[in-house]
Amino acid sequence: MALAEIVDTTALWQTIVAALVTGIGVTLAFSIAVFGIARFVELGRDGRSVAAAGFGAVAAVALIACAGAVVVGVIVMTQK
Amino acid sequence: MHNDVVLVIVVGTALAFDFTNGFHDTANVVATAISTRAMSPRLAVGFAAVLNFVGAVISLAVAATVAQDIVSSSAITTTVVFAGLIGAISWNLITWYFGMPSSSSHALIGGVVGAAWAYAGASAVLGDGVLGKVLIPAVIAPILAFIVGIVGIALCYRVVGAQRPGVVARGFRLGQVASGGLLALAHGTNDAQKTMGVITLALVANGNISANHFHVPTWVVISAASAIALGTYVGGWRIIRTVGSRIIRMDPAQGFLTQGAGSAVILVSSHFGFPLSTTQVISGGVMGAGAGKRLSAVRWGVAGDIVTAWLLTLPAAAAIGALTYAITRVFGTGVAGPVVVATVALLLVAYGFVRRIQQGAPVPAG
Repeated sequence: MALAEIVDTTALWQTIVAALVTGIGVTLAFSIAVFGIARFVELGRDGRSVAAAGFGAVAAVALIACAGAVVVGVIVMTQK
Repeated sequence: MHNDVVLVIVVGTALAFDFTNGFHDTANVVATAISTRAMSPRLAVGFAAVLNFVGAVISLAVAATVAQDIVSSSAITTTVVFAGLIGAISWNLITWYFGMPSSSSHALIGGVVGAAWAYAGASAVLGDGVLGKVLIPAVIAPILAFIVGIVGIALCYRVVGAQRPGVVARGFRLGQVASGGLLALAHGTNDAQKTMGVITLALVANGNISANHFHVPTWVVISAASAIALGTYVGGWRIIRTVGSRIIRMDPAQGFLTQGAGSAVILVSSHFGFPLSTTQVISGGVMGAGAGKRLSAVRWGVAGDIVTAWLLTLPAAAAIGALTYAITRVFGTGVAGPVVVATVALLLVAYGFVRRIQQGAPVPAG
């Protein structure tokens, strides 16, 4: 019997792709958020409030993306 | 009547297994957060216990796999399920005793497969299900977590590398609270469901549930979720030390990444009903996050010991499961076998705990 008949290759590929995309994607988004916060703090301390606000916005968007990924993930889990 | 007594013993044993699963495995979930001081041990363990409970009740795909795709329900008795559980618990406690993070999941599946084989021969084991739903995902999942870890940490250091270390460390410590919670949730979705699957298998074998109308009763869901949460709270401190600091010394970014990689792989796999080893996945993520920073940061000798324990788990638990079934049958087909074996097992467990505590008490919570 061929391995492809035994293994649900569609589910396996979906698992691999989804885990890679979400795992690396959320990490990248959170790293950007940390970067944005670090720059926000640094620029705010230097009195460059406009630039600081820009980095603050980047951090906020990245954090929202992380939270969104988590919420979507949990919703998908509960729907099966 | 005697079948119902055996069923009660099986359910009790399954919940005891679930407790040891929480005790043994969930420690790995909190190890990275404790290692990087993102959370105090007591807070991390309590947080993980609550989220394990929540995770256990939100999905049933893995329970269905364990109950339907590993062994043939028509060739299973409650005594077989009992023997399989004893095989799994024994292997869990042996590896706990030596501080090795082996897989509770593979111990459970190995134990049930071994006992079923001893009872009805090879035909009782659904080889396609074991290969397609357990063995192949078991190989892929830790590699996947390793890749997420190694790529993720490289990207992470590239993004935040030039920033002040103090702000970055605080950011990732906060992130670890969220990623640690998600990992605990993921653990509950995958690991508690294996016990639910085994109890359901016993209910099918005992005639309480029809194999054609498979469902997991609510009391099974709640009791399994409670047992794993309680086991988590009691904690496996010896294994926390192995995963949290002996493989690599982690910084908060690596801790966040390890938990994120583990959560992503386990949650997606749970969705598709693959009963993974959370220990293997998290250890894969730990190694990836370490290797992404510096290959020599990973203590490959410790990693090798863990791989050895993984390789031994399925056959060892299967052998103990088969042996337990054979011993149980010495006392006939009634209730005597499970009662005697369960009593002896309890005495051995108590002896093991006392000996371990005498040799050096586990690190207390807090």
